[in-house]
Amino acid sequence: MRKLAIIILALFTVCAFSMEAKDKAMPEYELVGNGTGAQGTYLITVSVISKKKDVSNAELARCAVHGVLFRGFANKDKRQSQKPLAGSPSVEASHPDFFNSFFAEGGPCASYVSEVSGSRQVIKAGKQYKVSATVTVNKDQLRRDLEDAGIIKGLNSAF
Amino acid sequence: MLSGIRNILAAATGLLLLTVTAAPASHAQAKKPTIMVVPDDAWCTANGYIIETDNQGKTTRTPDYERALQENIDLVTTITKIGELMNERQFPLKDLSTVIKNLNRNAAEDEMLVSRTSGASLAETPYDRVITRAKADIIVEVLWRVNTTGPKRSITYQLKGVDAYSGKNIASAEGTGAPSFSAEIPVLIEEAVLEKMDGFTSQLQSHFDDMVENGREVVLNVRVFDNGSGLSLEDEYDGEELAEIIDSWMAQNTVNHRFNLSDQTENLMNFEQVRIPLYRPNGNPMDTRHFANSLRKFLGAAPYNITSKVVTKGLGRADVILGEK
Repeated sequence: MRKLAIIILALFTVCAFSMEAKDKAMPEYELVGNGTGAQGTYLITVSVISKKKDVSNAELARCAVHGVLFRGFANKDKRQSQKPLAGSPSVEASHPDFFNSFFAEGGPCASYVSEVSGSRQVIKAGKQYKVSATVTVNKDQLRRDLEDAGIIKGLNSAF
Repeated sequence: MLSGIRNILAAATGLLLLTVTAAPASHAQAKKPTIMVVPDDAWCTANGYIIETDNQGKTTRTPDYERALQENIDLVTTITKIGELMNERQFPLKDLSTVIKNLNRNAAEDEMLVSRTSGASLAETPYDRVITRAKADIIVEVLWRVNTTGPKRSITYQLKGVDAYSGKNIASAEGTGAPSFSAEIPVLIEEAVLEKMDGFTSQLQSHFDDMVENGREVVLNVRVFDNGSGLSLEDEYDGEELAEIIDSWMAQNTVNHRFNLSDQTENLMNFEQVRIPLYRPNGNPMDTRHFANSLRKFLGAAPYNITSKVVTKGLGRADVILGEK
């Protein structure tokens, strides 16, 4: 009986951890450039593919910052293309502790993003929803903060 | 015996230099390359900012930066915007306009400066006059062109960073922006600068990362003064030619033995892609002058006892001239 209780407890623990991990995982998202932003910012449209249509602003902001840092974005019509700000996706894997708390719920990543009012769109695609919004990402401040934290190198760091 | 001493000397110098390649920057900071933005030659030609000179029947065209900066507001705005964005990255640029003004002012002042006792003017060789010009370690050439299709206008913009000494293209960004019916040309140029700057600086960053890892790439030339002493790079010391001895010294003192001897005769050796360490044995920053001086001291010591002179050309190029000072 005691062994059974231990096994059930262990199973609960594993499930709890896997659910937590799933919560923290980045949802499926897309990033498209939306023209040249004001100096120091990127103007982009971020779309989250979700089973729910009520995707929070924080979730959209999280995806926007993640995309700017590790994926980059483009827009063929606007002849726009930006490489990932962090240089390479491997930067995320090499600083797991930093980015886990950075992208966590209530983490600092959302503070770099502001949504353009009235830009939110929800489109139903099959069994899923594509929730989009146009946002500005304060990329200069984002880069400076990551440089200060020692996550990415600054132009001046070698000298 | 002589060869043994020589090898020990060269190896010792090499060890001292190379142990500081990855020296912690706690002692000092590596010398920062200077960057200057200039209009591209093609832009100067297209906009008429060219000086044509007749050089023994052959017309030479050189860009007239001074007039371009005085007359073209778009150019001034573009250079200022690039400078502003680089300042935000804590990497201020050398300003072309200020450099030209300083050169003109210094030349005027130097002409008037005389000694109070004898009335002598400043000593200046023809070479001194030639090297006193607007220069930087990295030259960023900027170019744009306005494209018009009916009422629509767009900007083709190009930014090219060239290492002034190796001639290598180390960063570039170019592209044509989205066409616009209403935007004014200065706005389109500003958008192009903002759009392309991040890609450009990320390539510049890769160049600096490579410099930290593999040393600074410089050019070193060895020459011989034609002073009648008969000194030649083919002179033998214990069976080894002077050129071979210099070649061995280079191998032992460059980072990972990286250099390329592109030309060699009895009077000259041209070394390219010479990777020098960023720091000297005492922890101070290394530059081409110190590296060339190390070679000068090595050749000045026994058993060679060769007097030589070091002439530098900015951070990235030096000539060691053998025979006399």
